[in-house]
Amino acid sequence: MCGIAGVAGSTNIAQRLFRGIAALEYRGYDSCGMAVQRNGTLDIRKNIGTVESVNQNERLTDMKGLVGIAHTRWATHGGVTRENAHPHSDNNGRVAVVHNGIISNYRDIRERLGKAGAVFRSETDTEVIAHLIAHHLKQGAGEFERAFVAALRELEGTFALAVISVDAPGVIFCCKRESPLIIGLGDDANYVGSDFNAFIEYTRQAVILEDGEYAVVTRQSYAVKNLRTEEPVPKEVTEIEWDVEMARRGGYPHYMLKEIYDQPATVQAALRIPRSDLAGVARMIHGSRLAFLGGVGTTYYMAAMGQYFFSRFSGRYLPAVSTDELPHLADMGPEDCLVAISQSGETYDTLTAVRHAKRQGAKTAAIVNVMGSSLVRAVDLPILQGSGPEICVISTKAAMSQAVLLLLSSLELGRLSGSLEEAEVLLLRDEVASLGDRIAETLNERSGFLHTAARQHQRMKNWLYLGRGIYYPAALECALKMKEVTYLHAEGMSAGFLKHGTISLIDENMYTIVLMPAPEEKELHALTRSSAEEVRARGGFVLGFRFEGDEASQGLFSEEIVLPRVSSLLAPFLHLVAGQLFAYFLAVALKRDVDRPRALAKSVTVA
Amino acid sequence: MRALILAAGRGAGLYPFTETRPKAMLPVAGGMLLESALPKLRAAGVSDVVMVVGHCSQRIIQHFGQGASYGMTIQYVHQKEPAGIRDAIRLARGHFHPGETFLLVYADVLTPGNIYRHVSQTFGSFNQPVAAICHTPQAQDFGTVYLGADMRITRLVEKPTERAMGNYVLAGVFVMPYRLFELLETREMDVSLNELSATDGLRSAIWEEPWLDPKHPWDLLRGNRMVMETWREAVVDGSVQLRGAVQFRGPVRIEGDVVIESGASIFGPCFIGQGSFLGNGVLVRPYTAIGANAMIGFGVELKNCVLLDGVHVGRLSFIGDSVIGEGVRVGSGAMTLNQSMDGPTVRVRMNGGHVDSGMTKLGSFVGDGARIGASNTLASGTLIAPHEVIPNHYTYPRGES
Repeated sequence: MCGIAGVAGSTNIAQRLFRGIAALEYRGYDSCGMAVQRNGTLDIRKNIGTVESVNQNERLTDMKGLVGIAHTRWATHGGVTRENAHPHSDNNGRVAVVHNGIISNYRDIRERLGKAGAVFRSETDTEVIAHLIAHHLKQGAGEFERAFVAALRELEGTFALAVISVDAPGVIFCCKRESPLIIGLGDDANYVGSDFNAFIEYTRQAVILEDGEYAVVTRQSYAVKNLRTEEPVPKEVTEIEWDVEMARRGGYPHYMLKEIYDQPATVQAALRIPRSDLAGVARMIHGSRLAFLGGVGTTYYMAAMGQYFFSRFSGRYLPAVSTDELPHLADMGPEDCLVAISQSGETYDTLTAVRHAKRQGAKTAAIVNVMGSSLVRAVDLPILQGSGPEICVISTKAAMSQAVLLLLSSLELGRLSGSLEEAEVLLLRDEVASLGDRIAETLNERSGFLHTAARQHQRMKNWLYLGRGIYYPAALECALKMKEVTYLHAEGMSAGFLKHGTISLIDENMYTIVLMPAPEEKELHALTRSSAEEVRARGGFVLGFRFEGDEASQGLFSEEIVLPRVSSLLAPFLHLVAGQLFAYFLAVALKRDVDRPRALAKSVTVA
Repeated sequence: MRALILAAGRGAGLYPFTETRPKAMLPVAGGMLLESALPKLRAAGVSDVVMVVGHCSQRIIQHFGQGASYGMTIQYVHQKEPAGIRDAIRLARGHFHPGETFLLVYADVLTPGNIYRHVSQTFGSFNQPVAAICHTPQAQDFGTVYLGADMRITRLVEKPTERAMGNYVLAGVFVMPYRLFELLETREMDVSLNELSATDGLRSAIWEEPWLDPKHPWDLLRGNRMVMETWREAVVDGSVQLRGAVQFRGPVRIEGDVVIESGASIFGPCFIGQGSFLGNGVLVRPYTAIGANAMIGFGVELKNCVLLDGVHVGRLSFIGDSVIGEGVRVGSGAMTLNQSMDGPTVRVRMNGGHVDSGMTKLGSFVGDGARIGASNTLASGTLIAPHEVIPNHYTYPRGES
């Protein structure tokens, strides 16, 4: 997903254009740029990074002109580089294009235009649009609009795009096919945008383009036409009452809830990552003497979950290390490796750990969400998790996807080391493929119980999360979610550890949540039950997160949340979802700033 | 946008209060359900209302009239037989025109925040039919939904089974296209909404603030508390007379011409309606709402209760965790017990069976116009019919009363 903005005005529009893409940054934030037309030339400035950092480096707001287009990008194909950032232009710098979507036939066009002399500077499909329009201009299309229409008719795929040219001063041409695009009508300027946010500050009058329509927009006028017939299409002006933030969050009350609900889709995205990529990481681990899993905060807990997957499926112990401590702890050599995990790919501690490993000659891999980030560039083998932008400071869907990718990688290592047959890997992958449905089931059918429990116990200030086996790192993660978003005291602990000291804290001011294993894990289940009993025996309140069909823990808890019946493979993932929802509902009840908790930042880029 | 308000429901579960009034006119925090909804609809940009009325319709029409005092116009549609929501909506079809989208509002829903604005903004942002949804511990009483990606409602379950009890429920506020009327001609409400979701897409608007659709008499106490918990400051009308030392604490709201005698203690959040009289030493504890023209005698204690208009309570009585109907006379020295000795929660005898109220403290629910003689002690969870007369209780002479 990317964001498009455009302004045609009667005074300098750079500031408004910049604010437009700043407001669209939630659609993607790995690179951005602006093109402004002035005195018969196009000024194009773009770079990688957030909208604010690109402005600092490229001084976007200092640009001068009366018409311009801009773009903020979330790369799905093609690396994050300055060349691949939008806007793109033709060889003579006469046409500038911004685009959201996919041109499916771009290779053919690129080849054809290349033979005709066009020189391409990027790997993107977008660049061919600029060259194609220029090509039609050169072919004597006459008016710019003719060349624009001729070019668009050659394009296949789904897209929304906006174009300016020195051959059509003061005009923005735009077109929509399946990706969204709307026109905003202001007093002294007209606007285009991927959605309302691009111009909401300036006008609430909007014209919504339908598929197969294009528009010619100037500061005083707009005309919408059918791309096939070129006939004008009468459009209604919509006065829309909307809440800016709500539109950005896709209607969800908070990004956190939106991203929790994104998880069925992000799990599927993780499953689409080619097995050969994961096998690459598995080979690296297989060939190393010592292999570490590294993360910090939530990603450390995901790494800790990963330990159990690798141990279970490949028989190999991969220590999880918090990356802030790794340089103090692990001496590594050329025969060792580090698999680092980071949503942003800019986490200071994790980058430092990777550099530490590389300095000592170790091999490195990373599971990371933001394409083009420092971590992607730093490691030998990056795996891009493709979870889409995560806006809430607290990681939910990205963490879920990381845990799934560690599981899938452990299957590859199992295959490689001979502990799993190919058929077993396929079966296990099929099982993981059902996780999305189980998460959706948890969200739909269980969220109300978590909501009720959260409301009921919102005054409790101390929470202990207990689990054994892989449910131990899951408990750590659930506790961290609660700390981050509710500001309450929460501790995760291995259930067996409890009686070695911490149990003295149990009283009416400390509630305990026990993550029960799947019923099939009989031994683990019995051990976890005994820990719950220890707490209850000391008068402690125990909220059990247990699975359907778990007869053995009937009557064990003060209260319980029953999760859908799943196998032991998927069970810890559902606990993560329950932990996310419980923390979220508590935070809402306590009126916390859910998406921007105090003192936290999305990616921690300092020591 | 225009609104279609469904206010014909009887609310049979709210006996004894809905014997004499429509559900939409049940009392909370000094107002009525519908009364608090109209200004919020106005603030959400609605000035044109079509209201379906049925049970006790005259009370609604008399009270709200043509809507002038709310800055809106109200047209009424009469539902003669209580035939449900589908029938009520179909009756209003003639007031809307093809292509129109409208707010569909169940009048008996209570939310301290403006749910109507939230729903119409969601519609404005996405230009798709919208249904407000929320969480409630009483999911079994409501239609529940399944959500797909992007907040689309993929499935609607009218009578949830055990499985769907943790789902979001329909919160009783929608933005609907005219097509709903067409669908309802041949289909039930839930089938129509499922159909609409399949063709036009039905988007959910998640409501995270407090929400209540009262199903039982004690839900009025929940609603009363829910609204009062949002009060932050005290508002005392300038015409209130304090005859001596009166203690105030917390957000108390006192309307005009109220007289309070010395020695009274008024602890907010609480509400005292127009023209009421509170005698010496009255104790009003939090979450109490006293209607207009009440007479509260010397030394009465009121706690977490709703008294409708014109209630008289004789001296040295205790009313707690109770709702007292309009014009009820409570004799002196009467007491509402509010705790059960049998269990943690109070069970209420209703419709020949027992219902667990889920409340650890629960008093009595007294219908409009009833008279409770002096010195009576009412067991917790007692329901008293409208206009019922309970004689004075005394110990001498024996065997007579």
